[in-house]
Amino acid sequence: MSAEFRVIGQPRPQLEGPAKVTGEAVYTHDLDVPGMLYGAILRSPHPHAHIRSVDLSKALKMPAVEVAVSGQDFPGKKYINAGAIFADRYPMARDRVRFTGEEVAAVAARSIGEAQAALAVIDVKYDQLPVAFDVEAAMAHDAPAIHNKPNLPRNVAQESVADFGGIDEAFEKADHIFEATFEHGIVAPICLETNGVLADFEMSSGQLNLWAPTQAPFFVRKEVAHVLDLPLEAVQVRSVVIGGGFGGKSQSPEPIAIAAMLSMKTGKPVKILLNRQEEFLSGKSDHAKKMRIKSAVAADGTILGRYTNFWVDNGAYTHMGPAYISAVRQRTCNLYRVDAAGFDGKLVHTNKVSGGSYRGMGSPQIIWAIETQIDEIAEKLGKDKLEYRIEIANRPGDRTPMGWEIGTCALAECLMEAGKRIGWAEKKDNMPPNRGIGFASMINPSVGLLYAEGNFACVSIDLLADGRLRVGAQSADCGTSQNTVMGQIVAEELGLDAEQIDVLHMDTEKTPPDLGSAASRVTFVTGNAAIKTATKFRETLKERLAKHWGVAASEIDFDDGIVSHKGDNARRLSLEEVVSLDGPFRVEDRYDIDISRPDPKTGYGHYAATYGFGAQAAEVEIDPVTGHVSVLKVVVVQDIGRVMNPLALDGQMHGGIVQGIGMALREELVFQDGAPVNASLITYKAPRIKDTPEIETVYIETNDPTGPYGAKAGGEHSINPTPAAIANAVAHVTGNRFRRLPIKASDVLEVLNKDKKLALQQWRRPYNLEVATARSLYPAVLFPGLKKLGSTLGRKRKIKPSVEYLQPKDLEEAVCEMAKLDRTTKLMAGGTDLQVGIRQGIYTPDAIVDIAMLKELRGIKVYDDKVVIGAATTISEITECDDLRAIQPMLVDGLTKIATQQIRNVATLAGDLSQEKRCWFFRSGAQCYKAGGVACPCYAVLGDNRHHSIMGAGRCAAPCVADAAPILTALDASVVIVGASGRRTVSMEEFYIWSGETVVKAGEIILEIHVPRRKERTVQVFEKSAGWDGDFADASVAMQLCFDGMSITAARISLGAVAPLPMRAVATEQAILVGDLSDTHIRVAAEKAVRGALPLSGNRYKTNLLVNLTERAIHRCLSKKEVM
Amino acid sequence: MAKLTLEANGRTCEIEVDPLVPLVTVLRDDLGLRGTKVGCGNGECGACTVLMDGQAVCSCLVPAGRANGRRIDTIESLGNSDEMHPLQRNLVERGAFQCGFCTPGVVMSLVALLRRQPEPDDKDIMAALQGNLCRCSGYVKLLKSVRESIRETSHER
Repeated sequence: MSAEFRVIGQPRPQLEGPAKVTGEAVYTHDLDVPGMLYGAILRSPHPHAHIRSVDLSKALKMPAVEVAVSGQDFPGKKYINAGAIFADRYPMARDRVRFTGEEVAAVAARSIGEAQAALAVIDVKYDQLPVAFDVEAAMAHDAPAIHNKPNLPRNVAQESVADFGGIDEAFEKADHIFEATFEHGIVAPICLETNGVLADFEMSSGQLNLWAPTQAPFFVRKEVAHVLDLPLEAVQVRSVVIGGGFGGKSQSPEPIAIAAMLSMKTGKPVKILLNRQEEFLSGKSDHAKKMRIKSAVAADGTILGRYTNFWVDNGAYTHMGPAYISAVRQRTCNLYRVDAAGFDGKLVHTNKVSGGSYRGMGSPQIIWAIETQIDEIAEKLGKDKLEYRIEIANRPGDRTPMGWEIGTCALAECLMEAGKRIGWAEKKDNMPPNRGIGFASMINPSVGLLYAEGNFACVSIDLLADGRLRVGAQSADCGTSQNTVMGQIVAEELGLDAEQIDVLHMDTEKTPPDLGSAASRVTFVTGNAAIKTATKFRETLKERLAKHWGVAASEIDFDDGIVSHKGDNARRLSLEEVVSLDGPFRVEDRYDIDISRPDPKTGYGHYAATYGFGAQAAEVEIDPVTGHVSVLKVVVVQDIGRVMNPLALDGQMHGGIVQGIGMALREELVFQDGAPVNASLITYKAPRIKDTPEIETVYIETNDPTGPYGAKAGGEHSINPTPAAIANAVAHVTGNRFRRLPIKASDVLEVLNKDKKLALQQWRRPYNLEVATARSLYPAVLFPGLKKLGSTLGRKRKIKPSVEYLQPKDLEEAVCEMAKLDRTTKLMAGGTDLQVGIRQGIYTPDAIVDIAMLKELRGIKVYDDKVVIGAATTISEITECDDLRAIQPMLVDGLTKIATQQIRNVATLAGDLSQEKRCWFFRSGAQCYKAGGVACPCYAVLGDNRHHSIMGAGRCAAPCVADAAPILTALDASVVIVGASGRRTVSMEEFYIWSGETVVKAGEIILEIHVPRRKERTVQVFEKSAGWDGDFADASVAMQLCFDGMSITAARISLGAVAPLPMRAVATEQAILVGDLSDTHIRVAAEKAVRGALPLSGNRYKTNLLVNLTERAIHRCLSKKEVM
Repeated sequence: MAKLTLEANGRTCEIEVDPLVPLVTVLRDDLGLRGTKVGCGNGECGACTVLMDGQAVCSCLVPAGRANGRRIDTIESLGNSDEMHPLQRNLVERGAFQCGFCTPGVVMSLVALLRRQPEPDDKDIMAALQGNLCRCSGYVKLLKSVRESIRETSHER
């Protein structure tokens, strides 16, 4: 921290902090105005279709519906987005839809329920068109044309080709050539606050006011005015608190113009909030890429040339795709010293949701690809991977092949520091087993000229009637503390305490124009504008007082909040006194980045006011049993220019790194027929608190002459090298270079086990032959045939508009209610599955009988020979029961691995056992065999089946993921069921019919679960592998072994999440009962757990996973036995 | 529709509502307690965490009918921006959150934990917060400020 500043460099808490932490902060979701209507959007169920007609008449006849619109109601103008030449999207589909989830119609009604009901009666006729979901398919000569764009090959929205400095020559004289292809999936921003808007159009004045969580009020105003054909002055965006951005709220999200249209038609305020599924389906995410990178390297390691041939998946419409093309060009040509560089990139349309922006704008992944190759070059040349990076680091004064003029640059220092802090010198030859370290660097143009408008910011300062200052900036603070930093800058300039200053953001009427919060630009551009405006404020203040006092402005001082006439003690005024003397006033000023614009086609030219640099070191540990990668520590060293507010900057670094961990190891959208099937926050696996590593931040202040107080930027800088550093650390452990992100635990496991061939002995299960034959017929015959058949003959899902809720006072009454045959009745215990399932259309009961509070169904009773657990006992009650922990440790420990504290507090033991299938096709509305009936296919056979069954699957491949199922099976538990005809007891092994289907008949209730007391000399172990701690298992093993001296006398082993039922591992049980307990024999016994498995195309890893977990469970049992 | 009586932040409230409507809707729309946020509506993110009889629950997954006769504590029960709960003040001062949308849920999860277990270790804190998704902070300063809060209160004790 520098002593030359008063406020800059201080760790200032966020201005909005107290309001946010107490729940007082008002987000768009919280807005409520009199007479407000609720809007809802009808979305296309097809990925590509002509819209033949949209009939709104039935919706309009509904009494609570005030208006309904379709694409034809809009003025026929397209969003401008990345520039007029890319404009290809109407605010609502007019005659054609190009992705599943595209907006087709909308209604506004007096309640959200009525609005949604109205959507159900809008009749849209579609003619389906051929589709192209993948870029390669979209570039094929016979691909359907998604748009008819002139002058470019079919479905190509942009092509960018360049050769800077003679790339062919570079490869001719190279001593070594490195070449590899890299690919990555699509990451979603996941703002905790979903997109939404409140639009209020005043008929009388023609004024449209918009409250929306947007990063860019400037662009929202411009786009909405354009697509609705309104004068710019008629549209104003207002200030609101924003629940996260990360690029996901840049551009103009579609609900804004739609709500505005609904408000214009009714003259009433209209609010639209997207739910989480809509956010995934229609919210614009990152772009997928495939990159072939080729490096020409001299014997001494000099990079003579780097060439990237790549495509970017644009999705259905162009929003920020050109910026993703740009990100690849920039890193190819500028990251580390390269003599020559070139690229050939294409932006390609597919029938998927349009790409938008996400933190880093594609840089993290191109950096990962380049940095993987840098590691490979170092290895080949026998150089230390850190020292090599320092050798080739960009240096101040460099001019890159792309024409970037590097000013301040501390990349080499950043790398050295990262190496020091991670302990590279000491650790590199002494890594503990399964640990590895990786390095990566990043270059980021701080605030380039990426906008048609140039790159400018304006800031206003108002001296208010109470003597306080209000700084106005149209950039939007999404949580980054930029408002706090703007306040600090003005306080610094004017010699005030930051507490004397308020900051107003976003409001397009009350604050002057600014391009918004994106591309890490606000600290730099808006910050520079704030300095200029503060200077102007000081001058204006002096001039006004000078006039008032009749003296020269040069004789006036303004320090510590006091305006005074030099040497005149009588003329000393606080700002409050200035206002009472001279009235309030306002000043505004503007800052422009004054550099030339790069060539739009090739990107050549000095591009940014300054360039940020940084290096990272990551240390990881891999669990060889599961392939799970734990990031232990990340050191981030940033050439930041100047630290404005270390508290805020640390926050940016930490957040970016943890998002980068998600990008590196877990996060991606999984598509089926162009729509994501993991559109939930369970199946889309964003990092949670247990995934957080130790993070060390180091800032090198290079004091950039162009930045405010020397500052550069920081918003995207820490995510950029994170996936690369982690991937290189993973390679350090495994010796394998992964060419696709995310590097999933399953990918790592496959590599670690590549030499261990498991004998699956599929002939041991006779039905495997039948299943294998059916699967072989799936691609050509069965899947297309059944899909077609199912679409006409299959059961359709429906959501019941109203469901009766019954709360019986005792068990007898509950049994009576359940026995009524004139309706479909479902039991609700915890309700965590049932309520979600009703919303998904999986359950369609007429009535719900809530049994959660029935005393007969609750509690844990310990008897001499058994433990009896009431069916509606919550998971928490079980895991917190100390008596039970001593008796049945596996049950207690195993159940703590279920879900989260909040869920365990309400979810029940019987509910866990009875939960429906978690197959993501079934859950996301696919017309599959289990949802639609025998005429429908199983989507897992050809779709993404990483979580599905590896054995025992037939027409449905959903696995049983209830953790209690294998545990209770291994414990030889039984389930007591009660119904109108009495009680019956079923052993756990007979309890399941299929995944999510049990022997409990309609009208019956699970009463209790009986678990036999653990015998002496018996040990229990539960092993589970899942995406995140609490997630549904990919595989689990529950084991109970009884010992007599050194030998095992009884064994019960049950396998979870690998088959539709919890499976007994009978062969393994038999194997460990005989023979010695050597490591070799244990491995042999464990391998028998997968006998007869028939994995699907994408879940072979589960065979290794299951064997490894079984092996570890046996070893753990043995070591537990030692301490018995 | 059903008549329900619940005790929200110490106040007895009588409301008439569809018993299958989620509790969070009752809190936000019927009782005007908008500090509780909805991030997913399906119990996946924890933004809507409130206390029901002292236990942290996702209020989007509690049917209103089940809240009948129960005690519900929301973020509004703790403090306000002029007079924050010590835990809240610590979170603000140490930069534990950014956009703040997950924060009321995080705070309520922590309150449930600390009332049950005043000196939890890191493992306990993480177990209590695993259900609260935060996209901004990376959880680093969150964990730090919770540790700090615990240290301060144990000193005071």
